Amino acid sequence: MIKTWELDPNFKNEILNELGGENLTACYQCSTCTLGCPITELVPSYNPRKIIQMSLLGMRTEVLSNPDLWICAICQTCTARCPQNVVVGDVLAVIRLLAEKAEEAGEIKIESPRPLFETAFLHTVEKYGRLYDIGLAMEYYPKREGSFIKGQKAMMDDYMAFGMRMFFKGKMGPLGGHGLLKGVLPSKIKQRDVMKKIFKWVEEKEKER
Amino acid sequence: MSVEKLAYLPGCPSEATALEQHMSTEAVFEKLGVELVELEEWNCCGAAEAEDQNLVYALNARNLAIAEKDNLDIMTPCSICYYNLARTNNALKANEELRAEIKGIDPSLEYNGTITPKHVIDVLVNDIGLEEIKSKLVKKVELKVAPYYGCYLGRPPETAFDDPDDPVLMDQLIELIGGENVPFSAMKTKCCGGPLMMTRGDLAFEMARKILETAKNAGADCIALACPLCGMMLDAKQPDVEKALNVKFEMPIVYITQLLGLALGIDSSKLGLQKNVVDTKKILGKVV
Ligand code: SF4
Ligand code: SF4
Repeated sequence: MIKTWELDPNFKNEILNELGGENLTACYQCSTCTLGCPITELVPSYNPRKIIQMSLLGMRTEVLSNPDLWICAICQTCTARCPQNVVVGDVLAVIRLLAEKAEEAGEIKIESPRPLFETAFLHTVEKYGRLYDIGLAMEYYPKREGSFIKGQKAMMDDYMAFGMRMFFKGKMGPLGGHGLLKGVLPSKIKQRDVMKKIFKWVEEKEKER
Repeated sequence: MSVEKLAYLPGCPSEATALEQHMSTEAVFEKLGVELVELEEWNCCGAAEAEDQNLVYALNARNLAIAEKDNLDIMTPCSICYYNLARTNNALKANEELRAEIKGIDPSLEYNGTITPKHVIDVLVNDIGLEEIKSKLVKKVELKVAPYYGCYLGRPPETAFDDPDDPVLMDQLIELIGGENVPFSAMKTKCCGGPLMMTRGDLAFEMARKILETAKNAGADCIALACPLCGMMLDAKQPDVEKALNVKFEMPIVYITQLLGLALGIDSSKLGLQKNVVDTKKILGKVV
């Protein structure tokens, strides 16, 4: 049921104002995006068309707290197929950013661990200039599990076998013959100060939102 | 041949999980007589995890600027690096204000939009050309191959260089080297699930399963692909997918540059074929 008194008519403008959100209002609800979506194929209730419709109607809280936002695979099939040039994949990314902001403001609670994962990933980029898989996992798992010990266990469950495979194939660690601890230690660029500046700039831009 | 020298962005997986893609790309281009200048001090493109477009633009402006200083087009074997470079290039070319703002972060981010980002497959087929490659082939790779393109080569339209629903460039390379493309249209451009691996492994495994299963049912000897994240999902995680879903595929997964390298007569160890997780020995027997 739509409670009209709870609608936020400005919500669509929040999306329209962001890079990627520009063509939102061109949507004419044809469902092409949803029909081709690989996630809808697996999870029939997943419906990007509906997320767009609810956004246009101004159902801000419902949209931002929708757990489905976090199972989009960012594959851009929807974007490629939309007859109205709505950049559907980017619209969803914009909505995820707005959801993170709403969570920071205490308005909603995000159940998915995906923001933690993305943040942990980007932290390694900010710190070293390149992705550092092990650093990512060391930050992500404990945060996701709520404790260091549980995090270590979850990490081992997911990655022990994988890690050994990488080790024996010489892709990580000393068997590679391409740098003793490659993959085990972070690969760092020298201009790490530039990375710091980039992330600081992005943070400032976010505050303008 | 129109291309002699390119700036080369290997991408983060090249240092660990996709080492064989990096090795085979370098070996193939050396053989083809195209010099690759590895971008000095390249940084991560932000992958699929940088959802804020400002962050994507700033990170990729730096890599573009490094290549622009040498006045070289920039090539990457990674589909996500390509997508991020290409959309940044488009955005910065079209928007002077954004260019100035990004340059304001640090002078090393000054990019003037004078070069073009390219994906390896695009360079091979459209710049070097099938004729030129053909003249250098010394072996036939008599394999049944499932050509898997994944995302970002044919979509989104803004940065695509192949057909969104039925891409053909990799098919052409496979045919050229003596391979046979098995019917695979339904899966060619389906997402591998990679971006969900760490947060919704169940969905990611299911997505990978469909691709592996279709290739197996189509009688493929291997899947050829072009993206290190797809490689991670379909090759490095294949034993995990098998275990979780109680299936067996044992489907070799190779980078297209590895297959092409074999046809160019490059030694398999130089192409990193011992580094793919699913054993590739059985496909080597079909290189004649
Ligand atoms: S394909 Fe485009 S126009 Fe159609 S419902 Fe999806 S976003 Fe709207
Ligand atoms: S980008 Fe997300 S919503 Fe769009 S088709 Fe892919 S998984 Fe579905």
